[in-house]
Amino acid sequence: MSKILVVDIEKCSGCRICELACSWYHEEEFNPAKARLSIVSWKKAAIHYPMICEQCEKAPCAEVCPTDAIYKDEESGSWKVDEAKCIGCKFCIQVCPLGAISFFEEKRGAIKCDLCDGDPQCVKFCPMEAIEFVEEDKVGLKKKRISAEKLFATMQEVK
Amino acid sequence: MNDGYAGRYLRVDLPREKFTVLPTPEEWKRKYLGGVGMGARIMWDEVPPEVKPLSPQNRIIFATGPVNGTLFPPSGRYEVISRSPLTGWWAHASAGGFFGPEMKYAGYDLIIIQGKAKKPVYLHIDNDLIELKDAKHLWGKNVIETTDQIIKELKDPDVKVACIGQAGENLVKYACIMSDYFRAAGRTGLGAVLGSKNLKAIAIRGTKGIKIANKEKFNKLLEDAFKRHSPEGRYWEYIESFRKYGTFSLTDWENAIGRLPTKNHWTGYFENAEETIGMEPMKKRHYKRHASCFGCGIQCKYSSIVKEGKYAGTESEGPEYETVEGFTSNFLSTDTNALIRANYLCNIYGMDTISVSHSISWAYECYEHGLLTKDDTDGRELIWGEDGMDHVIELLEEIPFRKTKFASLLAEGSQEAARRTGKGSEAYAIHVNGLEASGQDGRPHKSLGLTYAINVRGADHLTSLSSLDELGYKEEIRRRYKKETVDILAERWDEKLKGYLVADMEELYALCDSALLCKYGVMWPPIYYHQDFGKIISTITGFTEYENPKELNKLAKRICHLRRCFNVRLGWSKKNDALHPRFTEEPMPTGPAKGQVVHLEPMLREYYQARKYDWKTGYPTKKELEEVGLEDVAKELKKRKKLIPVYRGKKAFQIRKK
Repeated sequence: MSKILVVDIEKCSGCRICELACSWYHEEEFNPAKARLSIVSWKKAAIHYPMICEQCEKAPCAEVCPTDAIYKDEESGSWKVDEAKCIGCKFCIQVCPLGAISFFEEKRGAIKCDLCDGDPQCVKFCPMEAIEFVEEDKVGLKKKRISAEKLFATMQEVK
Repeated sequence: MNDGYAGRYLRVDLPREKFTVLPTPEEWKRKYLGGVGMGARIMWDEVPPEVKPLSPQNRIIFATGPVNGTLFPPSGRYEVISRSPLTGWWAHASAGGFFGPEMKYAGYDLIIIQGKAKKPVYLHIDNDLIELKDAKHLWGKNVIETTDQIIKELKDPDVKVACIGQAGENLVKYACIMSDYFRAAGRTGLGAVLGSKNLKAIAIRGTKGIKIANKEKFNKLLEDAFKRHSPEGRYWEYIESFRKYGTFSLTDWENAIGRLPTKNHWTGYFENAEETIGMEPMKKRHYKRHASCFGCGIQCKYSSIVKEGKYAGTESEGPEYETVEGFTSNFLSTDTNALIRANYLCNIYGMDTISVSHSISWAYECYEHGLLTKDDTDGRELIWGEDGMDHVIELLEEIPFRKTKFASLLAEGSQEAARRTGKGSEAYAIHVNGLEASGQDGRPHKSLGLTYAINVRGADHLTSLSSLDELGYKEEIRRRYKKETVDILAERWDEKLKGYLVADMEELYALCDSALLCKYGVMWPPIYYHQDFGKIISTITGFTEYENPKELNKLAKRICHLRRCFNVRLGWSKKNDALHPRFTEEPMPTGPAKGQVVHLEPMLREYYQARKYDWKTGYPTKKELEEVGLEDVAKELKKRKKLIPVYRGKKAFQIRKK
């Protein structure tokens, strides 16, 4: 059973530890520009949103890739980029609805989230537990519970 | 090797519009590490005592350190170093947020600013692109407007902006530098230094990476560090409270030991604080959402909002504990709506909440004693309590613009305001060496008395404060110090051994402010200690000599001595190592620490022993400076007759375990 990343934006504080953990794992350096996920922040409103690859079932990035460089890794359930095949055409960046693919300056090719081969570092390091790694058939209920907790809290306040 | 460093630094010559990018010298990295350490070296070398704080020749240095921008928590801070227009002495101020790491990602360990621009400008840096841009249209704008406008015109919402508000432009002596909208490099008036240079802002963006010398070891340290910030860690209880309430969980704890400054430091106890301005009511009334600094394992920052009353809708990050104290108990007020409003105004105009609140409360106490009247205050009755808060808010709107003579007087800070007012009003200007006392009091916490007296930047709580005795971390004391010292060190009201304790903290924080971690996690809760810094510095930079405690201690002392020597060269001597009489002569009138005063001398003697300072003059000793590698500094002080050839005092007692 594949697992996917689930984000609770209410918990995210915008510290960007996930970006650091990601670039450290993949590139052995600290550089948010090379992270596979990014936190988009509206600092004035204190709103933070981790933008991650959702590993689409029908992935536009893979479909549009002219060299079939983006392939499904059955073990982790993630879409991966085969560096040898990637020609740096950037079509995948254009079609991704979430902006989850970045262009890697040094490698002249696309980079994206590969779920760290099943042990996502963003989940491991997030101090606020804002990103979780959940089995895909349990995601629906998980999200319902998060929403229900918020509704419940609101109801308590109204009372 | 540039492991842990960006590897280059930038010098900006404003009048010539010249930019010089050079490799960060190996000597700076190895001997001074970064942050205040490197800052001290550069200030010593480049700013002789004749240079006045607001003159073009003064430098202002934005500095990062090797830990900045890495995953080692909490790594988001940067330091700004200069000579203070508020105090005239050494100045450093630090801010969290995202600006510091971005400097390194853009490829700069330091940005050194010199000269005065011919007209208002801002500095734009995008990796290797460096340019000065016209800021005429930004002059007169507040921090939020300025940040918004820069982001808009650079068309980059991810650019990190550090800027001044109107307070900095108008040379308010405690103006601060604000970054990421709400984060303040708050103390010592560095916003006025930027203002004097016509530099409105620095906008920076970078996409370069930072490498680590020893990856395997770093991974182990990371695991350990994150564990210490988790429920498995020793100080989880405090981190959890921090995360839940922010730094003002301190309000309750300080009041409980009679150390919550109240009514302009008259006392340390504010009745019913827990129910009115404490952590629970603050959280319930004002919490909006978390807003962490970069790379933080603690997560104490959040945004607050006013939900009802005339300030409804006012929203800003913070307030921190110091601001809570400054705008509530300091005025005998429980009006937290006014507090959030005051915090917001300080943030948008760019003023240090500690210095401005205590400069205003100086006027309130003068008014109480008839030293100021309605004729001096533009017709205002300055009365304590909730009813007096309207005037505080009005003054916060006037001081940044120096709108009236009275507002302009207060904009000079309490020391200068009292000097101009005379009539004994100095008695109510609660500062040490020109810097307003922060939300602490030495009477219930004796070592803090010494902290205020000897700090290089005046009465601040971030250069050598010990939380070990303050909040009773006896187990930690046991781990760090010799068995026979434990009971005495843990006793908040006992002056004994506190001189050595404060010296040890000063050394620890010199490392913290140079490697650049947040004081939360080092000062309070006391998660990291010397040996942790030795390991982390060695692992990130490859300077393995710092795993040797002796070498590490030399590094820390080098930084402490050099800052002090900067002040000594300016005229600092024994008489400056003193306290306001409020702390030494007025027994605490109320609360749990009723009757207490600070006996400074015994602590000062111990501190002088630890530093090998001359008891008569307060000057450093030749051998000690040479031992820590400051031979050239010793030479210059000797020329100026501010160096003692041989230390003749007692030997310091070593409290630390071997």
